[in-house]
Amino acid sequence: MFLGRVAGTVWSTVKWPETRGLKLLLVRPYRLGDLAPGAVRAGAEASEPTDDLVVCADLLDAGPGDDVLVAFGHAARVAVSEKLAPGAKPNVPIDAAVVAVVDRVEIESETRR
Amino acid sequence: MIRGTVVGQVWATRKARGLEGRKLLVVAARDAEGRPTGRLVVAVDVLDAGVGEDVTVAFGSGARNVLRPGPENRDLLCDAAVAAIVEGAG
Repeated sequence: MFLGRVAGTVWSTVKWPETRGLKLLLVRPYRLGDLAPGAVRAGAEASEPTDDLVVCADLLDAGPGDDVLVAFGHAARVAVSEKLAPGAKPNVPIDAAVVAVVDRVEIESETRR
Repeated sequence: MIRGTVVGQVWATRKARGLEGRKLLVVAARDAEGRPTGRLVVAVDVLDAGVGEDVTVAFGSGARNVLRPGPENRDLLCDAAVAAIVEGAG
């Protein structure tokens, strides 16, 4: 998973039927230098993230400016298939999904040494 | 897997059901020389790693196997997990 800030939304008209109705967000991942040491309140003291954008499915109704956790791969498909029967495999053609809207990130130590 | 250092923790109340009760650590990846690469990874932690400790993080099905050895673990929502607390690297 990674931590990032929602930068925007993506619309598309041609989609696989399994993804119809799924909201897609643009999320920019935070890198080490973006998060100041000490308590960082989500959306406040962190500087703007600098990495490339990732397109993520979103079921948690996150919006631009929110800090979110994004999962990749199978975990992303599990996250958007909440009513999956035991043993069933998710069939949505996505590989990234918002799995949490972040309240607080605490960065407690510098790693430069 | 990657090697990195635990630099912090994440809290979230609005989250996917599969993440409920999970401790989520922010891990800063290190390169072969031990320098931080700048990349941050958020990993599920069941080994009770602490801030400042060096850890390895497993991805994909390897991460699910940390939480519950497979093959019956494809219902788990986990793509990254702390797999070991590192004592030394050369």
